[in-house]
Amino acid sequence: MNQLPQQLANGLILGALYGLVAIGYTMVYGIVQLINFAHGEIFMVGGFGALTAFLALPGGTTLWIAIPLMLVAGILVSVLVAIGAERFAYRPLRTAPRLAPLITAIGLSIALQQLVFSFYPDAKKARVFPQIPGSPFNIAGMTIQRSDLFLIVAAPVCMLALGWFVTKTRSGRAMQATSQDPDTAKLMGIDTDRIIVMAFAIGAAFAAVAAVAYGLRTGQIDWHMGFVLGLKAFTAAVLGGIGNIYGAMLGGLVLGLAEGLATAYIQHVPGMQLFGGGAWKDVWAFVLLIVVLLVRPQGLLGERVADRA
Amino acid sequence: MTTTETTPVIPLPAGTARILTAVGATATAASAFLAWTWTSDFPGDLTVTGYPGGLQWLTLVAGALTLVLTLASYGLRGLRWTSPTRSDNGILLAATGGAVVTWGTLIAIGVELGGMANLEPGGWVAGVASALTLIGALGLPLDRHTRRPLQVLNKWWFTAVPVTPLLYLAATGVDSSRPVAPVLVVLAQGGLAAAGGVVLVQALMLLRTWLRLTTIERRTAPPLELPSWVEVLLIIAAFSVGLFAITFGIDTEYGELFTGYLVLAGTGVAALTKSGLIARLRALTVKHRPVTTGAAFAAAAGFPFTQSSDQYTSVATNILIFATVALGLNIVVGLAGLLDLGYVAFLGVGAYAAALVSGSPASPIHVAFPFWGAVLTGAAASMIFGVLIGAPTLRLRGDYLAIVTLGFGEIFRITMNNLNGTTGPNLTNGSNGIPRIPDLNIFGFDLGKTHTVFGIDLGRFSNYYLLMLIVTAFVVLVFSRVGDSRIGRAWVAIREDETAAQAMGINGFRLKLLAFALGASLAGLAGTVQAHVSYTVTPDQYTFAEALPPNSAFLLAAVILGGMGTISGPLLGATLLFLIPKKLEFLSNYQLLAFGIALIVLMRVRPEGLIANRRRQLEFHEADIPAQAAPSDTALTKAGA
Amino acid sequence: MTTSTAPVTTTGDPVLEATGVIMRFGGLTAVNNVDLTVNSGEIVGLIGPNGAGKTTFFNCLTGLYVPTEGTVKYKGTVLPPKPHLVTQAGIARTFQNIRLFANMTVLENVLVGRHSRTKEGLLSAVLRGPKYKRAEAESREKAMGLLEFAGLADKADHLARNLPYGEQRKLEIARALASEPGLLLLDEPTAGMNPQETRAAEELVFAIRDRGIAILVIEHDMRFIFNLCDRTAVLVQGQKIVEGDRETVQSDERVITAYLGAPLEGTAEAPAAADADADAIADAPADLPAEAAADPVEEADAEPAAEASTASATSTTGTEDEK
Repeated sequence: MNQLPQQLANGLILGALYGLVAIGYTMVYGIVQLINFAHGEIFMVGGFGALTAFLALPGGTTLWIAIPLMLVAGILVSVLVAIGAERFAYRPLRTAPRLAPLITAIGLSIALQQLVFSFYPDAKKARVFPQIPGSPFNIAGMTIQRSDLFLIVAAPVCMLALGWFVTKTRSGRAMQATSQDPDTAKLMGIDTDRIIVMAFAIGAAFAAVAAVAYGLRTGQIDWHMGFVLGLKAFTAAVLGGIGNIYGAMLGGLVLGLAEGLATAYIQHVPGMQLFGGGAWKDVWAFVLLIVVLLVRPQGLLGERVADRA
Repeated sequence: MTTTETTPVIPLPAGTARILTAVGATATAASAFLAWTWTSDFPGDLTVTGYPGGLQWLTLVAGALTLVLTLASYGLRGLRWTSPTRSDNGILLAATGGAVVTWGTLIAIGVELGGMANLEPGGWVAGVASALTLIGALGLPLDRHTRRPLQVLNKWWFTAVPVTPLLYLAATGVDSSRPVAPVLVVLAQGGLAAAGGVVLVQALMLLRTWLRLTTIERRTAPPLELPSWVEVLLIIAAFSVGLFAITFGIDTEYGELFTGYLVLAGTGVAALTKSGLIARLRALTVKHRPVTTGAAFAAAAGFPFTQSSDQYTSVATNILIFATVALGLNIVVGLAGLLDLGYVAFLGVGAYAAALVSGSPASPIHVAFPFWGAVLTGAAASMIFGVLIGAPTLRLRGDYLAIVTLGFGEIFRITMNNLNGTTGPNLTNGSNGIPRIPDLNIFGFDLGKTHTVFGIDLGRFSNYYLLMLIVTAFVVLVFSRVGDSRIGRAWVAIREDETAAQAMGINGFRLKLLAFALGASLAGLAGTVQAHVSYTVTPDQYTFAEALPPNSAFLLAAVILGGMGTISGPLLGATLLFLIPKKLEFLSNYQLLAFGIALIVLMRVRPEGLIANRRRQLEFHEADIPAQAAPSDTALTKAGA
Repeated sequence: MTTSTAPVTTTGDPVLEATGVIMRFGGLTAVNNVDLTVNSGEIVGLIGPNGAGKTTFFNCLTGLYVPTEGTVKYKGTVLPPKPHLVTQAGIARTFQNIRLFANMTVLENVLVGRHSRTKEGLLSAVLRGPKYKRAEAESREKAMGLLEFAGLADKADHLARNLPYGEQRKLEIARALASEPGLLLLDEPTAGMNPQETRAAEELVFAIRDRGIAILVIEHDMRFIFNLCDRTAVLVQGQKIVEGDRETVQSDERVITAYLGAPLEGTAEAPAAADADADAIADAPADLPAEAAADPVEEADAEPAAEASTASATSTTGTEDEK
């Protein structure tokens, strides 16, 4: 039985999810050179925001209405948390040594996880997330869950919208300028504070979209889901070339594909029989990261970022 | 123009204030001998007249400290040495400590026993006395700013104060059968908490403006010329007091006492810092460094001899493991400036390596290395992983290292879980870990058995504590010697400016790899002992963030809380971070939350940590200090012609 | 390309020989086929308008950039393209924007400079044997000697960041000397200095030469260059247009064109400038015309400058110049 098409489809869907989250890392990093460790948690709270909206709707609301509302709520929560984090945790440290904001980000990540874990009702275990009911599609030997339709539509739409925003709008161009040279951008009259907030907000909104997709796909969300996914998304951002938004999506897709293929095929490699299957997929993703850093540290689409005089 | 003055906060005649403070302090100390409550239901038994118990000891110490400092401010011969600066702010701090501890105890009695009626007259005496001391101390001529502008938060935030209670009412009004109701209630409660936080922060700002406290640097009288042996004796005495204080902290049996202990320790040390005694002591320790190090380790080695059971030596052993690993991490983070977020994985590698060669029946490798062999295996295995992780990443910007090490920490755990024979080759028994690791036997000395030394029984944990202390001493030695050498200077140079460092002939990559590998092997070394101490190694001992140390986040926090680049900083930070979750059980559900918030606040308030490395302090406050750097405008007009 | 080299009295064997150095960034050539020789005991100047590629050339010499083509030899051996190996070989440098280890003491800064001349590794640092102690004592002695030489001995325990600007420059030179170089590269040593400090710097450079160290110096201040240098090379748009002693350079029309802009149709101004004495040229770059000359080159050098600014966002004053 040829399972290649199925693995490719799974990989691409998973990869699009990584890519959406990776954009948040890449945008923030591109502008303030900060790895926003808490981004995985911003993804997570977006999921809980969406879940809250779903709970607030009267039972039996059709998902055609529910999903857009959940999306709005998720984006709202994620963006508010991200802007709050930027304003109160990161901004005061902008001139501090690199270590300070990085440690703040770790603290923020732990605090957000624990806030949800301790206070969101019944969040100590995974909470059920609605799924799109109905039997899966079968196309050319690939089985695609109905819930994945959301992501298949949302990811390209998001990317196109972002591409349009960055290249065609005033704010988008200001953002590009700021990422190239914040000081000069400031001299040119660009309100860099606003741009930085915008980068955080856009990244958070994309993370919330990803969180809804994740919830629909897996049927549940939990307080811990941001950690590993955040790590993967960062890997995707590095893979694509950090600072490059298209690279982030490309990196996500490559990572998703690599994971899918590793899960299915590693065990057929002689001597590796025992290292296949889902249990090892995170390990292979990590190995991929290390290999990329060795071979092409600037990433697939990135420019050289090594420190130079 | 002077910006500082020496005036009282509460306008009292200086003489009256001082007498009031002295009398109040005496009464506070004396009140510890009275009965504060009628029932021994409150922990520590505060019912006995004539003998202090539990929290009363803290009140006694606070009162005595305040009294001593006050008497020193009179210039009393024999006590003047306690306050070389003659600053009265120290008295205020000590009095504050006394008042907080005493009132905290009284309120705790009231809350836990249900009402202030449970206080005996002695309790009221203590409360009034400590309050009078505080009032007296506020009337002393204190070092203050002449003016301090009032800071006011964004006024819009105060709208939360009336709005959030309404929201809360609305949320509780939602039909509780609807699934969203509990979420809304939680959100409204969160809003209430935030509003409370806004009020609290503003109140603290008001207090700060009212007190206007500061420190005025004064020339202090030169210290008495003492014979060298007396100075050495003083150092030893100071360390004995320190040992006693730390032992008291480790031995505290209930949360109230530990909280009071932390408050008193904090205010006490702050008071003695203001009085200048700490600076004197530090000067002495710098003068007699070898003696100091010896005294510190002797004091630490004395700990098991003060313990009658293994209950607290096991705590102390784990603190030592945690502290040693934190110190190893400090080489990587504090000296070389590399952020390692998966450091605990190197401890894990060492522990697993030691467990595999320990002769445990659960280990698939049926060998039993002697201790030195296991140590070398563990350290070498960690070093190999350190090089494997470091080599690809250390050529790049530091951020990559952070994320790769974070990933490595997670991958290590996953891999150890998967090497269980079902999802992968069998090496580690997966999530069950490797149990039944035999006790160490070093030159015929079985660390698992109780031995009697000087008539005192040293149990299993005491043995491991002493072994671990040797490991700690080794790491301290490596840290201090390497830190102050060609290699250490190169690390700091790389951290400061890598390009300039390379222009000095420093191979940046190689030295960073050296720091990373050294840090990894020291963690591996500690791991080998840890495997034997805990009998079992499991993957879940080595995570990024967990409620109990050691884990990567706590290790990093220990380094940062204590002070990067220092030796005593991580030791202190690790001790605090180990004891606080252990002792404050009421925090247990919110420990990690508190930890996360504490990290954020720490970075805002005191990024250089409790014990600041001079260099680090400068780095973190670069913006505050007017550096005499390039007059950039003239440089531009000339260079940029 | 044409290079008119005036007869120069060689003071000794060549220390640095750069032949045909080309540095391209993408399609832009920042340094184009530059030859430069520095002989032992010589002070050589390198001047040129903004964006002429001086610092890029410097970075090629010190291994920070790998030249696209050409070789750089130090005392006859080809230099490896790694900064620390170049220093190891015997070339030390200072930076245009001072790059001290600001939070280390003055003495520690110089001790770091000794890194490539000492061997003590991790193990000997832990064991602290007699050999280690001897080496450490020797390093300290030499470092103190250099501080004495630079006039900073009484400030050995100060933090580098607390030194006044002029002394920071001196410290950077002392730190470079600590690596016992045969050739010292100074990148605008007098930038931001007042006239007195500049004169003191001159004295210091001569004193360094007297220690047997050859010097290559980039400067804008022509008076400084002409007072100091046995030979001066002029770099314009990545090409060396002239090299020689003071008179050769001052009378070369291309230099004047490069600095003052191409003569207009009437060429009324150019001859006047050519006749002017050293002062006129010395002062000229500080004024407007240099700006005009620099403009066309600006683009050519934009790439490395941009790269530098992404790498170290803090050092904006540094990249300012070569932009």
